[in-house]
Amino acid sequence: MKHILQVLKFEYLNCIKNKAFIITTIVIMILILGMSFVPAIIMDIAESDGDSAEGDIIGIVDNAYHNSDLITQSFQKIYPHGVIIVTEESMDEVKAKVDKSEYEFAVVLNTPISFTYVTKNNSLMSEEVRTITEAVQGIYRAVNFEKFGVDYDRTATILDAPIISETITTGTDQTKNYFSTYVLVMILYMAIVMYGQMVSQSVVTEKNTRAMEMLITCAKPTHLMFGKVFGSGLAGLTQLVVITGTALASVKMISMKSLPEGLSEMLTMPVSTVIYALIFFITAYFIYAFLLGSLSSLASRSEDLNTLTTPVMMIFVVAFMIVMMSMTSDINNTLMIVCSYIPFTAPIAMFARIALSDVAFHEIIISIVIQLVSIYLLGMLAAAIYKIGVLMYGKPPKFSEIFKLLKEQHQANKALKSKE
Amino acid sequence: MELKVQNVFKNFGEKEVLRDISLSAQSGTALGLLGRNGAGKTTTIRIIMGVFFADKGEILIDGKPINRDKIRIGYMPEERGLYPKIKICDQMAYLAQLRGMTSKEAQKACDKWLERMSMTEYKYKKLETLSKGNQQKIQLAVTLMCNPQIVILDEPFSGLDPVNAMLLKDVIKEMIDGGAIVLFSSHQMNYIEEFCESIAIINQGKIAIDGKISEIKHSYPRDRIAVTSSQYEKIAPFVLQRMSEHIIDVKNDGENTLVIRMKSPDFKNRLFAELSDFDIDCFKVCEPSLNDIFVEYTEGGI
Repeated sequence: MKHILQVLKFEYLNCIKNKAFIITTIVIMILILGMSFVPAIIMDIAESDGDSAEGDIIGIVDNAYHNSDLITQSFQKIYPHGVIIVTEESMDEVKAKVDKSEYEFAVVLNTPISFTYVTKNNSLMSEEVRTITEAVQGIYRAVNFEKFGVDYDRTATILDAPIISETITTGTDQTKNYFSTYVLVMILYMAIVMYGQMVSQSVVTEKNTRAMEMLITCAKPTHLMFGKVFGSGLAGLTQLVVITGTALASVKMISMKSLPEGLSEMLTMPVSTVIYALIFFITAYFIYAFLLGSLSSLASRSEDLNTLTTPVMMIFVVAFMIVMMSMTSDINNTLMIVCSYIPFTAPIAMFARIALSDVAFHEIIISIVIQLVSIYLLGMLAAAIYKIGVLMYGKPPKFSEIFKLLKEQHQANKALKSKE
Repeated sequence: MELKVQNVFKNFGEKEVLRDISLSAQSGTALGLLGRNGAGKTTTIRIIMGVFFADKGEILIDGKPINRDKIRIGYMPEERGLYPKIKICDQMAYLAQLRGMTSKEAQKACDKWLERMSMTEYKYKKLETLSKGNQQKIQLAVTLMCNPQIVILDEPFSGLDPVNAMLLKDVIKEMIDGGAIVLFSSHQMNYIEEFCESIAIINQGKIAIDGKISEIKHSYPRDRIAVTSSQYEKIAPFVLQRMSEHIIDVKNDGENTLVIRMKSPDFKNRLFAELSDFDIDCFKVCEPSLNDIFVEYTEGGI
């Protein structure tokens, strides 16, 4: 136990003092701070941009109604700041003028229900076509209603009567938590990958530099591994706390800038979700750190690491994909329910389910217990592999060979015990 | 205190690595552990250290099974192993604490040994910034800083310049005089002869020969005599003519020295008497060098 604590302290301090680790933390903090200002900046831009700026000239060719007053009026309504010019230019002339920016854009009304939108640069986010469609539709309706002797202005209030709706969710509101859950699942995934690799790397470095030769004469391999896993995990947790702290502080800062309700709602999350995130971070970390750490002990160079750790990483990536895909459809589909009880996928699957839907408390407990038991078993397995791995040099063994070695070791231990 | 390795067997899978290894070493002496690469030295050392368990056999201290929590062992592996990117004082303190020192004791021991190795100026440097020889000194400081009762050194002199080698020799002698048991593994025979009273040569997992170096040498047929004289040119024909029935051959060994091989070692005293008319600087029995012994017992092995 004393050894575990000593190794833990050493590993923790080394992680924390590691330059790359510090730089990563700072970069992430800066990114978060930067990102927290993005919505505010976007809102500013959107405001100043408007639908069309002051004095923008909009050219309209009316081949349908030949009624420039009607057209001008209708378009002026949707582009109050624009200058509407109704012309009879040909398509080529219009195109040329748009290209020379004489017109901000142009609309050619071919028939009452079809138009051509001419613009210099069509941006992805442009809603111009939709707006114009509405205007053209309005004109079409007004003209035709009038034909039948119906007062369009009065009919319009009936047709476009605003319907007020309200949703009451008795369970968990998926729409409300979607964004925050998405972010937390991402963080969980990235943190586990990052800290898992940190453990792998640190094990291989010890073997590669042969520091292991000294260490195993001072402490038991099992203690060395547990100390390392705990130490790196604690370092990771420290980093997460610092980063989350920054994130929370910046959210506070922007919410003071009074964001639109929808956005600030997206950024808040229930405390219980955060606590579950923490619990599942810890279980996931141990499951993967034990696996990755013990497998890395079989490598003698960092070049060999990939071959050994890829299968484990694949499992985790698949788990992440399943969760991400299920989040957009039905979070409680059969696959997700199964995944939330398989130890390798449970941490993120169960977390996503809890955050986005109502999961019975006993289901959560069963999942956590399954994970804890797996952690215990994986810890034992990892210790056994580590014992074999630390003094093994050269080509890393195949998985079948690992099992053979484990069996041999088990028998040797048994023989030793029976002798005592 | 006496360290005894008793009838140790060890297999790795199908491969027999150690077959009935027995050794013993007393406090205040050094035992040279010799053997070719892969003979089983490191495995023997690791079993003593408790990294591996023997399939059969025991490690005894004064007749009782070793308790590694009570006996302090300092081990310097042949593959030097420390953290290249960590400050020297940090890793020294860490390893000392893993071996049971308190944080304060570890700091003190760290300072003491850095000074002893005249490495104090490097205390806060990262290991990788040091030269190979200096890293070696740090490794030795790490080995010795827990004040071990048993010191196991695997090739401690490789990579050291003569001045550092001297420093290291002094330190090792101090340890031996201080009553430590030193196990010394090296391929540099001159160092073995300098420190070790006894040796054990391991070949293919078995003890090929062990015992006091002087006794091993003495056990060889003493049928060769080295004669050093300024008149060696005259001695050669004299011996060959006068005593041809007792002499096999005479060889010039350079530096005014002749090596005379006799048919029987008993002829030595008569030979000495016969040469009394010459001006003899030195007359001695040729003993095999440790190198010769090593090669003889390990040739064909592995």
